[in-house]
Amino acid sequence: MNGSFSTRMLRTIAAWVVVAVFFFPIYYWTSVAFKHGNDIFNRPPKLFAFTPTFDNFQKVFGISLGSGGITVTPGGGNFYMAPRVWDSIVIATLSTVLAVAIATVAAYALSRMNFRGRHSFVGWVLSTRMMPPVAVAVPMFFIYKNFGLIDTYTGMVLIHALMNLPLAVLLMKSFFDDIPSEIDESAIVDGASRFMIFRRIVLPMAKGGVAATAVLCFIFSWTEFLFALTLTTTSLKTVPVVSSTFVTSIGTAWGNMAALGAASIIPAFIFILLVQKHLVRGLTMGSLKQ
Amino acid sequence: MRVAQARRFVISDHPLPWLLPLVAILLVFTVYPLIYNIWLSFHEFVPRRRALEFVGTENWVQLWNDTRFWQSLVITFTYFAIALAFELVLGMAIALLLDSDGFGFGFLRGVLTMTLVIPPAIVGMMYLLMEDPQFGVISYLLQSIGLLNPNNPILATASTALAGVLVAEIWQWTPFMVLIFLAGLRALPPEPYEAAMIDGASSFQIFRRITLPMMSKVIAIAVLVRGIDLFRVFDYVFVMTSGGPGAATYSLSLYAWQQTFSFVKWGYGATLSLVTLVIILVIANLFIRIAKVKW
Repeated sequence: MNGSFSTRMLRTIAAWVVVAVFFFPIYYWTSVAFKHGNDIFNRPPKLFAFTPTFDNFQKVFGISLGSGGITVTPGGGNFYMAPRVWDSIVIATLSTVLAVAIATVAAYALSRMNFRGRHSFVGWVLSTRMMPPVAVAVPMFFIYKNFGLIDTYTGMVLIHALMNLPLAVLLMKSFFDDIPSEIDESAIVDGASRFMIFRRIVLPMAKGGVAATAVLCFIFSWTEFLFALTLTTTSLKTVPVVSSTFVTSIGTAWGNMAALGAASIIPAFIFILLVQKHLVRGLTMGSLKQ
Repeated sequence: MRVAQARRFVISDHPLPWLLPLVAILLVFTVYPLIYNIWLSFHEFVPRRRALEFVGTENWVQLWNDTRFWQSLVITFTYFAIALAFELVLGMAIALLLDSDGFGFGFLRGVLTMTLVIPPAIVGMMYLLMEDPQFGVISYLLQSIGLLNPNNPILATASTALAGVLVAEIWQWTPFMVLIFLAGLRALPPEPYEAAMIDGASSFQIFRRITLPMMSKVIAIAVLVRGIDLFRVFDYVFVMTSGGPGAATYSLSLYAWQQTFSFVKWGYGATLSLVTLVIILVIANLFIRIAKVKW
């Protein structure tokens, strides 16, 4: 861990090199977003020496960088994706709200109340996390068709909330478990109802945990592919699903796709940095505390 | 009177009102699809009559005799095993490397989290471009050092297609392991290390005899969480190869999805997705028992 100056130096260099290798694809993809077509299709691939352009962002988001600063003109071309970004934001936000609301209430009961079968109930919630999406998407497609839920916000919000519920419940339970239950007990002695304790005492104390849970739910909805692919057809699509529509019969619009991809990473990355403290706990569904 | 009674029940100590919304949504979205899938697996869509017809155990017999199914099972297990091995070993190595309070290490750990927020479908697209035989940067690099024949595109050659997909998978999820292992390493008590230093143990001995055993719980959880997702792989293969060339990258999930939505074999698709579900549930629950993972 300590070692001499030269071993520490060597370790620092190795660490930077390894992370640079992992960062390279992100850099390369972002560079493609700023490239003209002929620079993308160059051989050998151009890594640094190219004339940057804003055309791709203009096509995809209607944002142009002129002499008078940034102007936004909503376009109507095939690759105008701003409405798809909006769809993704709406679905991710609403499904997060729904999942976190249901999960916090249930997690409080699982953390505080003793009842028969509690352990198996947690096991059941965990095993729903193991269901392959394809096993849910196939029957859900037929059910959604009957109820007219294909291509609707309601349908997508429900399925993404469901997908995130096991994670949200287990994660919130772990955050509630951190709060000593003596607090609840003394409040009960003072005559507070369970719901009041939950809303006024426990929930405010766990708000960092709620934020971390919400961010993870948002990101998992934002990046989800199979349900969005199966349960939407034309009028509603999320960002991961439209990424494959850039592949056309006359070639792939790599620059436009990269612009969409690069832009979609940024908000998710900022969110995840905000809750970095709880990230590992979230990624392991609450079983590892940092 | 009724309202007051209901109110008292809702605010009481009974867990039911608290769990009801969760139970309702889980029943509707997991138990119902499961039952529907089982029902569907004994039926098949008949395009001529535009209707589902009862076919008895035909789908299950077909499954048993379907070489494509067995092939996709092998491919899924291969994908699972190779990806998990690489992610575990690389993840541990990088975690050990980054486990330092030196200047800049916090920044490096932050950069690594970036891969986790990119939609896997978009990662698949990134690697599709980078592995393009003409202007892809990975292909170019491998061709110029003579490791890749320019006439064999990575993703269109049966022997290399799965590796091409695995590169994307391993790139995106190794940082997941790194972050989990780093958290585990930082929580280890210092005393055993001090004792080992005094005894003059080598760093490999310390890793083998102290770090690994103390990290076993962390490793088990990482294997479980990642393993579940690896077994249901869909996004990368769908975007990068659609299962091809031939059937070289057909995962179980992709095969089930295509049977339902591309070939209108609703009953057979349901049968395949049921099998995928059962395999995951059995393996994961066995693992939880054996490794004694607790929630």
